[in-house]
Amino acid sequence: MRRREFAALVWPSLLVMFGLLMVPLYRTAEWSFKDVDYGESGTFVGLDNYQQALTDERFGRAVLFTVGLTVAVTAVLLVAGYLLAVMVNRLARTRPLVLGILLVSYVVPQVVGASMFSWLFDDNFGGMVNYLINSLTGLEIHWFTDPWPNRVMVGLNVVWHMLPFAMLVILAGLQGVPEEIIEAAKIDGASPLMRHVHVIIPSIRGVLGFVAVIGVMDVLRVFDQLIPLSPQAEQIGNESIMLYIFNTAFRDGGQQLGVGSAINILMIVIILLMLSPFIRDMAKEARKS
Amino acid sequence: MRSSQQRRRMVTALCAAAAVVVVAGCGAGSRTGAETAAKVACDFAKPAQAVDVDVLAYNSSAIDPFTNTMIKSCSKNDVTVKHEPIDFGGQVQKTTATLAGETGTYDVVETYGFVIPKYADKSKLRPLDDYFTKFSAEYGLDKINKGMREAMTYKGKLYAIPMQAQMLVMVYRKDVFDGLGLQPPKTFEDMRQAAKKIQDAGTIKYPIALPLKASADIVTAFDATLGSLGKNLTNPDDHTANLDSPESQKALEQLISLKPYLAPQVTTFDQPAVQQQLYNGGAAMAIMFSGRMNDLVQQSNSKFYDKFAFAAPPVVDGGDVRYNALSVDGWSIPQNTQVDPELLFELIAASVSEDASKAAIPAAYPARDGMVTATSSPYAAAAIESVNAAPPAEPYPWTSEISNQITPVIASVFIGNVSVADGTKQMQEIAKKVLADYR
Repeated sequence: MRRREFAALVWPSLLVMFGLLMVPLYRTAEWSFKDVDYGESGTFVGLDNYQQALTDERFGRAVLFTVGLTVAVTAVLLVAGYLLAVMVNRLARTRPLVLGILLVSYVVPQVVGASMFSWLFDDNFGGMVNYLINSLTGLEIHWFTDPWPNRVMVGLNVVWHMLPFAMLVILAGLQGVPEEIIEAAKIDGASPLMRHVHVIIPSIRGVLGFVAVIGVMDVLRVFDQLIPLSPQAEQIGNESIMLYIFNTAFRDGGQQLGVGSAINILMIVIILLMLSPFIRDMAKEARKS
Repeated sequence: MRSSQQRRRMVTALCAAAAVVVVAGCGAGSRTGAETAAKVACDFAKPAQAVDVDVLAYNSSAIDPFTNTMIKSCSKNDVTVKHEPIDFGGQVQKTTATLAGETGTYDVVETYGFVIPKYADKSKLRPLDDYFTKFSAEYGLDKINKGMREAMTYKGKLYAIPMQAQMLVMVYRKDVFDGLGLQPPKTFEDMRQAAKKIQDAGTIKYPIALPLKASADIVTAFDATLGSLGKNLTNPDDHTANLDSPESQKALEQLISLKPYLAPQVTTFDQPAVQQQLYNGGAAMAIMFSGRMNDLVQQSNSKFYDKFAFAAPPVVDGGDVRYNALSVDGWSIPQNTQVDPELLFELIAASVSEDASKAAIPAAYPARDGMVTATSSPYAAAAIESVNAAPPAEPYPWTSEISNQITPVIASVFIGNVSVADGTKQMQEIAKKVLADYR
């Protein structure tokens, strides 16, 4: 491809990236050092916003909840996504139909899916899960106001939403594993479990790394689901960092845009920290290949 | 060969997923209910060029009649009135955003007495007095209740045309109350006693339903309780707050005293959730804004639709002022609109005209004098009694800011994470900081 063609094809993307990524990022960084309201240029306050964020216990709780949720959900996504992909890979004629059904939870808007999901646990709207648990154990679980049941419910919803994506990517990876090496392992007497652990999984390590990276990035930014699933998030310590930013900067017309921007910058640092092992690994893989 | 098969399968899978989503999306409904709205006179002069008017108003059965009337009656003569469905929380955020810059997205915004001082103080809304005088005769604006107009007035200028008012109303299950020989509660103590009797009779486990959502509604409940105890949030003369006063402590204690009779997850309940509780037969009494009451008596919503009766809310602890919050809704014109404000005023005046207001009953309590009588709706008598015994409004620019910031503290006290004494101290500190900015 000629340099001119390359430039012609690339510049629209660069323009979009500059407009939608760099400008907001610059503005966020700028506002993080300002006391600023909507429609105003703001006044410089140095590191005050960062100090306010870092000394706020609520920020600490939000980081703890978000990082915990990210680690737990990403682990479940990798394991369950792999198992599901293996099962779907074995299907023949029914595979498109099963894939179609599995993808529904991924294509439904998160807040809509989460609202419907919340009804399963809400007595006011039928609460099928509550009804089953109550019938079997006699327990009445307060999914929306008790911290741990709420964490479980939120985690389940995030997994429900993201599992199809993980499964789809891993499925693509599985289809790229050469039949010859699996056959060779069989001839060598490897059991099905050993074939997965020692042959297939190492072959798709890059794909699993990619799923982990996307999982970490997506779960760290969890927000929409918490609106219907955790209406009392702040009081029970289940406020994600994004929800904390929203509540600080926007809720009920609140206008702490400076503090919200400072937390956003801290959030980017956290994302980079959590992604660094995977990025390093992927870079190593790329260098090897 | 294999790749083309895979591609076919992938396409089939995506089509199947898309089909399921399309089927699930069917029946989502039209974007507004303007087709069935009242058609009233909206006689503005045709503008020189075609104009789109964007309206920001949350959807509820009390607001929709006015919005839909405006859309149906005023979309003509090269003017197109547009409205996208939105909930109350969304409206609050979009109002802040659209009023912020030199230009905004909306040309007409739904406002309420609580936020008028904040926006008027920052010159975000246009004063409407001149237009009000000019079009008073044409649209019968002089019949709009004076008190409600005052609720939309800041420093002597009118910033919104009232469309309707909402006040707290008590709804109770007449069959349950009659069965146990109970009368509608007149005080919080009556309410606790009635709830205990209902619980003891094994009729309903959690007899009282209140919207006490920790992130929003709970502050309205606190304000209504404090108001009934005769105290305002702040004293405007000396810019001090009353949030560590004995009344403030008592207000929190009174709310907490209802907990044994409320559903355990009540701090996640907004008004629609309380409605749902009543529809399901999960509560015997509730207190909500009047705009929610008409839904309760619709046969399509609940099998108990003909069992509900209404009363004015109780007082908290004696006196004349009830557990109440009077909210006046209206239409404002943003300072930053690019559309001719006179044209916009005619649109909003038409939507609150006599015919439009009549058509809004019984879903709404229109702002026009004499429009609602005791026989207008099953809850009209209770609403009229309630509106006459509400705590005074606090029309100051800091009220909404303080309310927003103390909400999490009230929730923490109610849940039991923070003691009443510590909570009132924290609230007072918050209010002091906010008030300092206005000195």
